[in-house]
Amino acid sequence: METTDLNLFVRTSEESISGWDRSKIVDALIRETLIDRDTAGEISKEVEQMIRKSGIQVITAPLIRELVNARLIEKGLENSRKMHTRLGMPLYDVDSLILHPNKENANVPHGPEATNLTLAEGIKKEYALLSVFSQEVADAHMNGDIHLHDLGFVDRPYCSGQSLEYIKKFGLDLPHSLSMAKPAKHPEVLLAHLVKFAAALQSHFAGAIGWDAINIFFAPYVEGMSDNDVKQLAQMLIFEFSQQAVARGGQAIFTDINIYWEIPKHFVNVPAIGPGGKFTGKTYGEYEKEAQRFAWKLFEVYKEGDGAGRPFFFPKPIVHITEKFFHTDGHMDFLNLISDVASDKGNTYYVFDRGETAKISECCRLSFKLEESDLLDAKEPWRMRYCALQNVSLNLPRLAYMAKNDDTRLFNLITERFLLAVRAHKEKRAFMEKLLSLGENGPLALLTMNRDGMPYLRFNHASHLIGMVGLNEMVQIHTGEEMHVSKKALKFGIKAIAHMNLLTDHMRRQENMKIVLEQTPAESTSYRFARLDLRYFSPHSGRIMKGDIASGEVYYTNSTHLNVKQAMNPIERVTTEGLFHPLIEAGSISHVWLGEAQPSKEAIADFVIKTFKHTTNDQIAFSPEFTTCNKCHRTGRGLADACSYCGSTDVDGITRITGYFTKVSSWNKGKLGELKDRYRNVEYFSEKRKAANE
Amino acid sequence: MGIVKIFYKDDCPLCPMAKKLKDHLREKNVTVDDFNVGTTEGLAEATFYRVMALPTILVEDESENSLGEWRGNVPHIDEVLSAVQSA
Repeated sequence: METTDLNLFVRTSEESISGWDRSKIVDALIRETLIDRDTAGEISKEVEQMIRKSGIQVITAPLIRELVNARLIEKGLENSRKMHTRLGMPLYDVDSLILHPNKENANVPHGPEATNLTLAEGIKKEYALLSVFSQEVADAHMNGDIHLHDLGFVDRPYCSGQSLEYIKKFGLDLPHSLSMAKPAKHPEVLLAHLVKFAAALQSHFAGAIGWDAINIFFAPYVEGMSDNDVKQLAQMLIFEFSQQAVARGGQAIFTDINIYWEIPKHFVNVPAIGPGGKFTGKTYGEYEKEAQRFAWKLFEVYKEGDGAGRPFFFPKPIVHITEKFFHTDGHMDFLNLISDVASDKGNTYYVFDRGETAKISECCRLSFKLEESDLLDAKEPWRMRYCALQNVSLNLPRLAYMAKNDDTRLFNLITERFLLAVRAHKEKRAFMEKLLSLGENGPLALLTMNRDGMPYLRFNHASHLIGMVGLNEMVQIHTGEEMHVSKKALKFGIKAIAHMNLLTDHMRRQENMKIVLEQTPAESTSYRFARLDLRYFSPHSGRIMKGDIASGEVYYTNSTHLNVKQAMNPIERVTTEGLFHPLIEAGSISHVWLGEAQPSKEAIADFVIKTFKHTTNDQIAFSPEFTTCNKCHRTGRGLADACSYCGSTDVDGITRITGYFTKVSSWNKGKLGELKDRYRNVEYFSEKRKAANE
Repeated sequence: MGIVKIFYKDDCPLCPMAKKLKDHLREKNVTVDDFNVGTTEGLAEATFYRVMALPTILVEDESENSLGEWRGNVPHIDEVLSAVQSA
C-alpha cells in the first residue's frame, strides 16, 4: 500500500514511485549516520508502524526522512539526526521565490536564472551551517551575533584582485574548457579574453573581481591606434561588463577596474607584455602616454553613460590618487575629467594611496595593500593575484546592549566575538583546503590550474576579513551619544576599533593567517542585525534603531560610518570618518551623497585634493540620484515618482546602494530606510557653485 | 602652560629618546601624557591625532589647540619648552 518517491529516498536521479521497502530506511541510516544496524532496524519498524497506522496511500521520501529524524531525536541520537538531515525548502518558499524578486542582493535581477541561484544558495547555506561550520559558529550566525557573508557560496573564496597580465601571457587556457586560446594578438581579442575570464572567475568567487592597473596593461595593445579606435575599445570594455547580466544567476559580473594616471613606481621598470604574449622590449614606464590615453577614453565613455544616459553600474572605475599623481603631467586635466564624471554620473571612486602605499582595490571598499613580497611579484605582474577567503562581520550594537554600560564587559565581548570570527575563518579555510586539494579534478579546478609554477589561487596570500556593523549605535548605547555628537563619543568609537586592530595583529601572529579588518558593505547585514536585535533586545533596541520601525525599514549605521541622517559639512564627514581608516587595513570608504546636486568638476576636484592632503581617509565616492523612465527611456536628476520628460510613472530610481549603483526598486527594506534618511549635500555644493560663479 | 603628548612604541628606534625627553620634561614640571600605541588606549589616542610616524610629540593648550608638533622625530627639549610656554 505504501509507496515512496524513491529518487529522493535512495538519492537517485530517477523520478519514480516505488513500492514500500523498509530496508531502505535501514540502509540510509547506516550509510549516513553512525548508528548500528539493530537500532536502525528498530527505527525503521517504528516508522513503518506509524505509516501503516495513519492509513495514508502515498508518502514522500522527505516525509519518511523526517519521521525517521523524529525517532532519532526521541532516542537522544542528536548527532545522528544532524547527519541524517535533509536540506531543502518548503513549497511555499519556493513558490514565493519563483514569483517574487530576491532583495538580499540588489545586483540579482528577477528571472529563472536568478531563482536557480537563490534556490541553490538556500541549500548551500544550510549545508554550510550544518556541515562546514561548528555548531557554535553556526548558532552565532543564526542568532545574529556575527554574520558569515555569502554562505550560499561557501564552496568558493569571497572576492579577488586579478591581473590582466595573466591572460596576456598565458592566453585563455582554462581547465575543462572546450577550446584553448593562445595569447591575444589584437586589443579586441584581449578584451574578449578579459570578459570571458572574468565570467569564469565570477563563477568561482562569491564577490567582486577586481582588475589591477587595467589601462596600463592594455597600453601596449593600444599603441598606434587612433583616438577614435581607442575610444571604441573603451566603449566595448564598459558595455561588455555592464551588459554581462547573463553570468551566474543572471547577475552582472561584479567588476572593478583599477586605473592610474601615472605609472606607479612598482610598474615603471617592469618589462611590458604586448600582442601574442611577447615582451615588447619596453617597460611599462615607457607606455605612460598610451595608458593615459586609454584611461581618458574610458572616462569619456563613463561621462556619456549608457543608451538611456544612465550611469554604468559596472565596471566600477577606481582611480588611484598617489603622491606621484600630483607630479605627473596632465594630472589636473584628468582630475577634472574624472570629477566631471563623479558629479554627473557618480562612477568615479577615488582611492588614496599616500606615502609609499600601493594597493589593489575591488569590491565596495576592499583593497589589498601590497607588501614587500608583493612588490617583488610586481616584476612579474601575472603573479599578482589576491583573494579574501571569507568575510565575517560582528554585530557591535548587540555587544553594547549586553555590556550594560560596563567598559570592561564591552571590550571583553568584542574580544570574544572577534575570536569566534577567527574560528569561523579557520573552519572555512579548512573546508577550502579540502576542496582545493582535489586539484584539477575537483570543483575548484580553475583556481588550482598551474601555469606559472604555482596554483592560480595563491592560498598562502589569502586574506581573512573581519568587519563591523553599527559602531555608531554601539557607541550610542554605551555612552548615550552618537559619534558625531561629541569628541568623547568619537574617541570611544575609535578606541573600540583600535582594540579590534590590535586583536587583528595578535591573532594574525598566533594563527599565522592574514587576518585583516574591513569595513563591511553590509548591504543586507545591517538590516538583518537590526531586525534580530529588535526581536531579542526590545524595547532598548527600538530606541536606538535607525530607520522606521513601523514600516520595518530598520537598519544599523554601516561599519564605522557616522549617522547618515546627520546634516554635516561633507569635508567634516570625510575627515571624521577618515580617522578610522588607518585602523582598517583592508579598506574603507566615505560616501558623499549628492541627491540632485551637480557640483562643478572643479569643486569635486578641490574636494578630492583636500581629502588627499589633509585627511587620513582611504577612499571617497560621490553619489548622485537619478530617475530613469521605462517608457521614454530618458534619465533625469534626482529621485522622483514620475518621469520629468514624459510624466510616466513607470520609472526606476537609481543610486548607490553600498559600493555600487543599482535600481532602488531592488533594495531591501533596511536600505530603503537608509535612503530616506541620507543627508544630501545639496546646500554645500550649491554654495560652492554660487561662490565660483561670483 | 601647554600639555605635552608623547606617542611611542616599544620597538621603534627613536622612541627611547622620546621617553628620555618625557622624563626631562617632567623634571621641569611639565605635564606629559605618554601613549604606547601598542595598547588600545594609546593606539586610539594616536589615531585621533592622526599619528602616522613614531615617535610623535604634540603640545596643546587646555582647549586642545596645537602649540607645536614633531612627527617621526625628537626635538630638543628647549623647542618643546618654548611651545609649552607659548600657551
